[in-house]
Amino acid sequence: MSRSFVNGAAPEEKPEKPEAALSARDVSLGYGERLVIRELSFAVTMGQITVLVGPNGSGKSTLLKALARILAPSCGAVYLDGRAIQQFPAREVARRLAILPQAPVAPEELTVGELVEQGRYPYTGPLRPLGEHDYAAIALALEQTGATAFRPRRLASLSGGERQRAWIALALAQETPILLLDEPTTFLDIGHQLDVLALVRELNRTHGKTIVLVLHDLNHAARYADRMVALRAGQIVADGPPQDVLTEALLAEVFGVRARILPHPVDGVPLCLPFATADTAHVKSSDAETAITPTTETAEKTAGQRVGS
Amino acid sequence: MSTTLNVRLRTRLRSGHLGHLSMRLRTGLPFAGRRYPLGLLLGGLVLAVLCVLHVATGSVDLTPGQVIAALAGHSEQPFHEVIVWDLRLPRTLIALVTGAMFGLAGAILQAIMRNPLAEPEMTGATSGAVLAAVLWLGQGSGRLAEPGTVLPLIALAGGVAASGLVYLLSFQRSSLPGRLILTGLLVSAVLRSGTSIVLLLHQEALGSILIWLIGSLNGRVWVHWDVLWPWALVALPLGLASARWANILQLGDASATGLGLRVPYARAALLFVAALLAASAVAIVGGIAFLGLIAPHIARRLVGADARRVFPMSVILGAALLLAADIAAQLLLRPTTLPVGAVLAALGAPFFLYLLRRRTP
Repeated sequence: MSRSFVNGAAPEEKPEKPEAALSARDVSLGYGERLVIRELSFAVTMGQITVLVGPNGSGKSTLLKALARILAPSCGAVYLDGRAIQQFPAREVARRLAILPQAPVAPEELTVGELVEQGRYPYTGPLRPLGEHDYAAIALALEQTGATAFRPRRLASLSGGERQRAWIALALAQETPILLLDEPTTFLDIGHQLDVLALVRELNRTHGKTIVLVLHDLNHAARYADRMVALRAGQIVADGPPQDVLTEALLAEVFGVRARILPHPVDGVPLCLPFATADTAHVKSSDAETAITPTTETAEKTAGQRVGS
Repeated sequence: MSTTLNVRLRTRLRSGHLGHLSMRLRTGLPFAGRRYPLGLLLGGLVLAVLCVLHVATGSVDLTPGQVIAALAGHSEQPFHEVIVWDLRLPRTLIALVTGAMFGLAGAILQAIMRNPLAEPEMTGATSGAVLAAVLWLGQGSGRLAEPGTVLPLIALAGGVAASGLVYLLSFQRSSLPGRLILTGLLVSAVLRSGTSIVLLLHQEALGSILIWLIGSLNGRVWVHWDVLWPWALVALPLGLASARWANILQLGDASATGLGLRVPYARAALLFVAALLAASAVAIVGGIAFLGLIAPHIARRLVGADARRVFPMSVILGAALLLAADIAAQLLLRPTTLPVGAVLAALGAPFFLYLLRRRTP
């Protein structure tokens, strides 16, 4: 099997360079009358894993939907390769970026193979059926996600982890340079969560894919992100490498929790250990410091013991 | 030596096509995947047999041999050819094609609404066509039994207009499947009550209108076929070709958009094709219920959920079920011929109940 098409989209089908750039400029986003995001600008760093974090309702999924042009902004625009994304032909966008939505649905009788085959839709037409390259892309997507073994099985018979792999394979079959994943680890146990995140990292490191993820687990985010973006109330409040973003002040401000950040005993990745909710969303650090000092120490100790044992 | 051969034969049998098929019949999806062509072939054979049986059925009993002889044009008795060619063949063809259209309309709707209970009635196509036809009949402008080209066209216009209304009413920034179904049900209810009022006002036409409401193949001849086939020729291929989009729509609006499908347009186009299929079938044979619900259901149990297989299978099953029901309608209370819609509803509703009770194989 040829692997020449792994990096980004198939070069022989593209007149332009497959290198894509994705950004949102001054977008306001919402559902009906209710605005979730107001005049936000954000550019995806190409070739990196960007993780969006934030509390429920902070707009992280909404921003991802806008980047994937599932949600049209009421103001501003999303740009792909310098052009407003809404002006692109729909299938051309689908050859540059793929999205795995939160809690996707499919008929339960569909097999994994049939599901992943749909990923080739942007490349086929009524008069252009699946070709050799399409089948190769489907096989590769299944192989990369370790889903080859359950290709003939129906979705109804899959476990949560297998199901998630099948959906990621669908997005991979699109052969896009950019991959957007909305909470891909929800409903998975810790082992399968790490499986999925390891796969994400491999896709980035080995195949050069640009990946934007929404994650709820801050420790996962810190571990797998190259760039971490924290949102609160529709605004970006922190943006940078995980060790700069994941701070005790940020946790208090964004999530309203008191926590300690420790280096992970194994590899020094920042580790967040929350122990209480703050009384208000904005805890003044001086208040928090005096109030929580004794508790923090015990928390630190127990955490240290747990990690150590 | 003989034991190894024996063992090899047995494993062969177990892993062979027949062994697989008998296992698959029990566990579900007997014709999914690579066995799909086999399913198509079997379906085609069943359909051919049903066609011959359907032509053979009627007030004068013919044997299948006599039917084939008459079709080939060398009957021993000339009146057999008259019966077959002038009376029976158009009825058979109409049953075949309208059954196919109801089946395909149902399959499309169930796919795009992501709801296994969707049926042509829910687009307003059936009730719209019926109301238009009934209004026309109530005006005294024509009689149903009278073969004419105007009535079907009016019914067709009513059906398409009603489903257009359903789509517009359900459209609110975007058209969600749930809202579409609910709007369809409500519009249908209003249209049906309109039909009831017309019925009450024109009780002299009650008999012919009632038959129209239930759906019947009685008295359908070449004139009706001439109205039907052009629509079938357009709508059936369009519906079958739309399976690609239906497959994408089945994955939810977000995934479908991500895969490069313009969801509102695709859903509207597929809804229109389904309405066209249902309305032109209703225009010829009346509001036959259940066919559009049952045919896709059975199809999915045979071939899985891939619309590229479900759609052709629903076409075959819709046609086969209508042919079989019409044979039953002619035989059950001989010499009286029942309206096929009544037979389908009487057999279809219990069958559907049975399907619901043994959900998930």
